Amino acid sequence: MTDSPVLRLVDAAFTHPGGAGVEGLRLDIAPGEAVALIGPNGAGKSTLLKGILGLVPRTAGTIEIGGVPGDAQAHARHGIVSFLPQSADLDPDFPISLEQVVMQGRYRGLGLFRWPGRVDRAAVRHALETVGLDSLAARPFGELSGGQRQRGLLARALASEPRLLLLDEPFNGLDQPNRDALVDTLRSLKRDGVAVLVSTHDLELARLVCDSVVLVNRTQVSCGPVDEVFTLGNIQECFEGVEVEIDEHTVVVPGHEGR
Amino acid sequence: MSLTDALFAAFSIPFMGRALLVMLVLAVVAGVVGVLVNLRGLEFISDGLTHAVFPGLAIGLVMGGTAGLVPGATIAALAGALALTWLDRAGITADAAIAIVLTATFSIGVIVVSMSDDYAGALEALLFGRVLTIPPDEVLPLVLVSLIALAATGLTLKQQLFRAFDAPGSRAAGNSALALDLVLNAAIALVVVAAASTIGTLLVLALLIVPGAVARLVTRRLWWLFPVAALFAAVGSWLGLATGFAISVGAGVDLPAGATIVGVFVLGYAVVLLGRFLLGRGGLDTRAPSSGATRPAEGFETLAPLAPQPAEGAGEGR
Repeated sequence: MTDSPVLRLVDAAFTHPGGAGVEGLRLDIAPGEAVALIGPNGAGKSTLLKGILGLVPRTAGTIEIGGVPGDAQAHARHGIVSFLPQSADLDPDFPISLEQVVMQGRYRGLGLFRWPGRVDRAAVRHALETVGLDSLAARPFGELSGGQRQRGLLARALASEPRLLLLDEPFNGLDQPNRDALVDTLRSLKRDGVAVLVSTHDLELARLVCDSVVLVNRTQVSCGPVDEVFTLGNIQECFEGVEVEIDEHTVVVPGHEGR
Repeated sequence: MSLTDALFAAFSIPFMGRALLVMLVLAVVAGVVGVLVNLRGLEFISDGLTHAVFPGLAIGLVMGGTAGLVPGATIAALAGALALTWLDRAGITADAAIAIVLTATFSIGVIVVSMSDDYAGALEALLFGRVLTIPPDEVLPLVLVSLIALAATGLTLKQQLFRAFDAPGSRAAGNSALALDLVLNAAIALVVVAAASTIGTLLVLALLIVPGAVARLVTRRLWWLFPVAALFAAVGSWLGLATGFAISVGAGVDLPAGATIVGVFVLGYAVVLLGRFLLGRGGLDTRAPSSGATRPAEGFETLAPLAPQPAEGAGEGR
């Protein structure tokens, strides 16, 4: 953890034009570190991720991505950060194959005038192998199962060779094999030095994959190593009003488990 | 008149040759842009642009004669593209409000045209086109307008397809939704300009929408959509002009060229639809998926959401 952080937030706040937002964010993510972003529905987890992407305005504090201050650094940001959206609402009839979806991850490196070449096709193949879908490369995207689509979108994010990967509820609705595949992929990304910030309701998965946890509920409740942050008091404060059980290995948050 | 005369010899007559040249360029461009219109579901905006272009055509005609048509229409179309992009982004989805604005522009156009000396003739030319009477010095502007639309679409094609498939993902990857929408709407507007001068404002929509819809029926392979749509539009335009010529000259029935072209387009669409219905999906989409698994023929799959299919053994491990 001696490397300089890929992402640094200091007292940052992100606020939608409509007023809802999340504030008081203090967070460092080093290369190869995975951080779980945990909080109840409507706590501002997606807002935080979209704020880092520049899709929700920052209204306080500072942000640094890859050591570059976030102001007017859109190009630097887009060369570093990739995003896996929440249960992407994609038209299953759109005539596009899995490998064409993954190739979209290469577009930002190509710009307007260049078309994908050998290097890009190799990167797409590698990304598909990483998520275990290389045998389905030519399959129409709409014919894949929900979990395979999610892994395909992860491959698209990987194909852009990010240094910081943001994932919004990637485990929602996944069956066990797809869930295991995603956990394996995230672990191998960490070994490759990719920083990961993943929002999830699944506290058990946070323990499996992540080094640190950020608890948010409109403001940052707590942040630190998994074992220090996952205390009954912290979780109850974060999920105010929701009954929470916690023991040495598992945390049960009724209404959030297994979604 | 023999078949060869209608299909080939007729186009050695200068006005028929000019009509074919302009229609072929326009058809290829409209086919390519039309695929994006189909994938993005921009039929309504395209319809709006055909209305917005009309007062531009009318003002251009009154101010500069036929030479004023293309400049007038271009200005009106680009203004319309800006306005519709803004309406769309502002989340104004009230179809009634947009329809009121657009019919208002159409009525302005009619009033302007009524001030010209040859009211009926001018109105007919604007509404129904004049592909057979394009003066030689208008060919170049029409071809240029079409090629600019093609270039704008081609340069942004990767990003346009990304946005069509996954708008939030495209934004997250750093693409400006506003810039992409402006470029695409401007390209549609320029196609409308060129098409309004040839087959008329009332029939423009057929040129933008039918080839894209045919391509969606014929293939599910992304990069095949564009050549299929362009080829369909080009062949349809050629056959349409030839049919109109054959019937007008051979049978003495005066068929309007623009409407005949559109008729051939729609007939072609019907034939493809019937063929797809009879053959099932696998018959037209020749290349099987990589797993080689056979899939059942499903008729009109694009009309209903695809049910998630079982994983067919590969990759899933269930």
